[in-house]
Amino acid sequence: MRRVLCALSAGLALGLAGQALAADSPENLVKYRQSVMKAIGGHTGAIAAVVKGEVSYGAHVANHARGIRDMSLIVPDIFPANSGPMDYADTGALPKIWEEPAKFKLAVSAFQSAAAKFADIAEGGDSQAIADGLGALGKTCGGCHKPFRQKKE
Amino acid sequence: MRLLVPVCAVLLVSGASLAGTAAAEPDAVARGKYVLRAAGCVACHTDEKGGGTVLAGGRALETPFGTFYTPNITPDPGAGLGGWTEADFLQALSQGRDPQGRPYYPAFPYTSYRGMTEQDMRDLWAYLQSVPPADRANKPHELGFPYGLRFLATVWQWLYFEPAPFRPNPDRSDVWNRGAYLVRHLGHCAECHSPRGRLGALDGGRELAGNPEGPDGKKVPNITPHAKDGIGGWSKTDIAFFLKTGFLPDGDVAGGAMEDVIRESTSRLSDEDRAAIAAYVQSLSPVPGP
Repeated sequence: MRRVLCALSAGLALGLAGQALAADSPENLVKYRQSVMKAIGGHTGAIAAVVKGEVSYGAHVANHARGIRDMSLIVPDIFPANSGPMDYADTGALPKIWEEPAKFKLAVSAFQSAAAKFADIAEGGDSQAIADGLGALGKTCGGCHKPFRQKKE
Repeated sequence: MRLLVPVCAVLLVSGASLAGTAAAEPDAVARGKYVLRAAGCVACHTDEKGGGTVLAGGRALETPFGTFYTPNITPDPGAGLGGWTEADFLQALSQGRDPQGRPYYPAFPYTSYRGMTEQDMRDLWAYLQSVPPADRANKPHELGFPYGLRFLATVWQWLYFEPAPFRPNPDRSDVWNRGAYLVRHLGHCAECHSPRGRLGALDGGRELAGNPEGPDGKKVPNITPHAKDGIGGWSKTDIAFFLKTGFLPDGDVAGGAMEDVIRESTSRLSDEDRAAIAAYVQSLSPVPGP
């Protein structure tokens, strides 16, 4: 139930985002988006270090996984219309995000479900399940980053 | 009666070869499926964007010379490899020539596949023969002048290509040699990760040092162990983990063409093979650039 509510509120936020953010500058919107993405990447990198056996912080994985799940809920908000490469050049986000919104939405919601599932797996604490789950989560990251991002140098 | 003898002989021979094929097939097909993954055939020979059938070709490869459309490699008799023999297939991989003996453009990475072992080529053939045929007709390449003149591919082969099977280096470990085979031949990593000269030949001196003008006009990173320009800061585990999951050490994720490679190829390899790739790549000399 909670998950349904979360999804609903994320959907509402997406609808409202356009108006609320038109006043924010494209540069600041892009930088904010990059901070959110770095937060997700930071948590993923930390989990990867545990999974690779570089650090023995196994107990932290659930915290990081919750972080990724929480961030996944705000991802739909952070691509307002005035934050594309036409508005501010220093972004890796491709115009396709705004040209094919239905496809983009689908890829984002795949990430959201995978992040929610991974948070549950991490709660369980089984290291093999976590390693496999991280792979599945990574596929959904790629699901957006491949078609919708051109990485900047 | 005189006629009967050759007929019997023919029957015996074909019976024997049929029995041989039937016995070898399940194993060869299973091994061939792994070779298919390691050789990354699916990503190029499938038009994923257009929702095409797996291995039925049609994916556009945009290059500075024009757009190549990958061919159908399912066993369809008209559109695919249905009319080919195993020998035709081996010739294509190791010599870069079609069944009529005409050279292929090096967009098909026979420059790497030439090192494939005969066993791997035969197994791959067995697997390709086992997939369902798809009748998608091949689309002609759209090449700029003068690259559309096919005899130029012959000239190109004179200049830049000779068949060369893989020779393991006896001074190195089995793991290293396996890694070298996977990186340089099956995985054909250099085809995207190395710069090319004006005529599209790989720059051997800068192997794996990145390509400023890679497929689809995108920059491909340097994967030699150069500290600043390459992946010198990555551990063996980082490399193997990346090939399995797509996650870079900083938690970012692979996009672009490498996403395809990870999904269709490296994530499906054994842990041992990924470790071998990592060991080989780490053993290279660091090269700056691109």
